[in-house]
Amino acid sequence: MNSNRSSYGSYQQQRYGGSTSPTMKNPSAHFEKGTEFNDRDRLNDMLATEKWLTDGFNVFVRETSHQELYNDVLHVLTETHHACRDVFNLMFEKGWYSLHPEQPSHIADHYQKFSGNESQFPSHGTGSYQYLSGVGQHPRYY
Amino acid sequence: MYQNQYSQQQRMSQPPAVLSTKDNAYLTDALSWELLAVKKAHSFASQCSDQQVKHQLEQLCQLHQQHYHTLLNHLSNNQQDYENQTYPHFHN
Repeated sequence: MNSNRSSYGSYQQQRYGGSTSPTMKNPSAHFEKGTEFNDRDRLNDMLATEKWLTDGFNVFVRETSHQELYNDVLHVLTETHHACRDVFNLMFEKGWYSLHPEQPSHIADHYQKFSGNESQFPSHGTGSYQYLSGVGQHPRYY
Repeated sequence: MYQNQYSQQQRMSQPPAVLSTKDNAYLTDALSWELLAVKKAHSFASQCSDQQVKHQLEQLCQLHQQHYHTLLNHLSNNQQDYENQTYPHFHN
């Protein structure tokens, strides 16, 4: 479908040990590089809008009064997050977004530290939290 | 005043399906956000040369129109319920 996909994982494993940070990035798709607002700018601006919307709906859903409104606003928030994700993925596919993998030794150090911290948990119960409220549920009141 | 009316009735475990003043304020804010997002996505889509980007923006335009209707629905439902006096504890 897209010739860019073949180089999806183009960062090189053996460079991990070196000082230069590898990147996970597709070759950049063409876009106008002049002063005018281009396709990449438009997608970036829309991503900023979606991000901004998730902030707004996050506050909204927390402040809702009744359950049905809560369910609907949470649904809108979730779909807006998915929209953000789709735009982000498209930007990555276009090669307009690059990521840098963390060094495995740094991750291992943190795993060591925080798995050790589990011993500070007050109990190791096997039960899980039971929600009294949530999307699609109509507990108690209805 | 409302408190007295509530106390004579059965205790509610959740708020009734009535819009609060805060709900109304947030809904009108959110509707403005969604309308702006619809217009922006539509405008950007019409200016795009990359078909994949154009398609994504058109999809977003549709999504925000759906969200607009979802939110608007809460304003119209509430109006009906209020007129039909489905919640008598507000109209004693």
